[in-house]
Amino acid sequence: MTTFHVHDAGRGIGVIAPEGRLNMVSARQLTSAIGGLIDAGTTRIVVDLEATDFMDSSGLGALIGGLKSARQAGGDLRLARPSEQVRTVLKLTNLDRVLRPRDTVEGAFDA
Amino acid sequence: MPDFADLGQGALRLVAPARPESIDLVHDLVAQLARTEDPPDPHDLMRFEMAVIEVIGNIVEHAVSTDPPEVTPRRFQLILDSTPAALEARFCDDGQPAEVDLESVTMPDPADAAEGGRGLALAMAAVDEVTYHRTEGINCWRLVCARS
Repeated sequence: MTTFHVHDAGRGIGVIAPEGRLNMVSARQLTSAIGGLIDAGTTRIVVDLEATDFMDSSGLGALIGGLKSARQAGGDLRLARPSEQVRTVLKLTNLDRVLRPRDTVEGAFDA
Repeated sequence: MPDFADLGQGALRLVAPARPESIDLVHDLVAQLARTEDPPDPHDLMRFEMAVIEVIGNIVEHAVSTDPPEVTPRRFQLILDSTPAALEARFCDDGQPAEVDLESVTMPDPADAAEGGRGLALAMAAVDEVTYHRTEGINCWRLVCARS
């Protein structure tokens, strides 16, 4: 069971922290969580992956969809604190340049 | 109901419905390899888990998209085999042909920002061998991750 913790980090930034696995089952929930923030006017989104144990290609697809939605709304989506497994998925799919992992949630929108 | 079995000598078996809920059972089965007598290197196990999850994702997605909802869901069998040389996974299911041509699988260009189509390419990038064949109405997948 994957749970999604969502909070407002100030400066117009929303944070979504998935706890558990991001896979075929939970990817839709991530898409909904991102859509919910954008619909509410928060278009700068950090996905905090510290408590995300595992991500597959479905989870990755939800992140790319979220990135596109956020950018279309005039914002952006950044990844923070991914595990080695998530970093490996990003690297093997050559998406580590599109979704460049950041070391902290607070600094995800700096530069 | 899912059916687990420890076949001994580093081999584990799971038989379960080809439904999204079964994916967590596959994660749990892979995690059991870390508790066997000759546990794999964590990085090898991570690569192996990534490939195994992409293939079960493909099987489940195919079952959901091709099988009528009123029929009893097809079941898959997964056998994991841990030897001194490699980690191996063998899936079989009796569903419709998977219509997979692994030779034509390529990783989508990141510039396209496609949301799908990376699963099997990721599996093939993660481990050393991915094969698929269909024999007598059974879809068979085999994954091999050589121990580093």
